[in-house]
Amino acid sequence: MSVKTELKNNITVCCIEGEIDINTAVDIKKAFEKLIAKKTPKIVINLNKVTYVDSSGLATLVEILKNMRVYGGRMRLTNMSHKVKSLFEITKLEKLFEIIADEAEAISTFV
Amino acid sequence: MNRRNDTGKLSLEIPSNIKYIREVSSGILKWLQPRKLDDSTLFDIRLCVEEVVRNAITHGNNNDKGLKVFINYWLEGDRLIVEVEDEGKGFGLDKMPDPTIEKNIMKGSGRGVYLVRKLMDKMEVNDKGNKVRLMKCLK
Repeated sequence: MSVKTELKNNITVCCIEGEIDINTAVDIKKAFEKLIAKKTPKIVINLNKVTYVDSSGLATLVEILKNMRVYGGRMRLTNMSHKVKSLFEITKLEKLFEIIADEAEAISTFV
Repeated sequence: MNRRNDTGKLSLEIPSNIKYIREVSSGILKWLQPRKLDDSTLFDIRLCVEEVVRNAITHGNNNDKGLKVFINYWLEGDRLIVEVEDEGKGFGLDKMPDPTIEKNIMKGSGRGVYLVRKLMDKMEVNDKGNKVRLMKCLK
C-alpha cells in the first residue's frame, strides 16, 4: 500500500494504491496524520488504484474524516471501483462522505 | 495448512494472530479457482471470511495467542459453506448494533458483521456465540 500526495489547483490530492484493510490501516492513518496536523482544509482521496477495502479500511477513512471535521476540513473520495463503492452504499457511508466519480471534477467543484 | 478431515471437509487451524487471516482467505479462494467465479463474488467471499476470522481472533479469542481458530469449508452443490470457530467464551454476534444508524455511523467498529450479513446468503451463529457458519450461493 502507498499514499502519494500532490497539490493540484491548491487542493491536496492523495492517491492510495493497494489495499485498505486491517493490515494497512495503521500506515494509512500515519500518512494522513501530517495533513491533519497542518489542518489541510480540503483533501481529495483518489481510490482508483485501491483493489480491496474491509471494515477496518472503512473505519480508517471514517476516522480521517472525523479528525478533519474537528478543524472544519473537508474530504472528497473519487474514482472508486464499483465494488468498493458498493461497500459505502451497503454501510450507508455514502451519506457521510462526499463521493465524486472523477478526480478532476472533485477538484474543480471543490469550493 | 489445508487438510481434508474425516468428514471430507477441508479444514485448517490458525493461531490467534491477525497475520494469518490472509492465508485463510487465500487458501479458500485458491481452492475455488476451478469454479471460475466472477471478481465480485470472490471479493465478497474474501471480505466475509476475513471479517469472521478477524472477529474470532480479536473478539472470540481476545487475541490470546494460545488459543486457536478452526476453519472448515466445503461445497454443498453450488453452495459454499465456511465455518469459523474460536475457543473463546462466545460473544453476542447477533446483538451487534446497527452501524448504519445516525448515532453509530461515525463509530470505528461494527461494520464487519453487518457487511457479512449483507454479502453472504446466510450467516448463522451457534448458541454459545463462538461458531459462525457462512453460506454463499455460487450460481
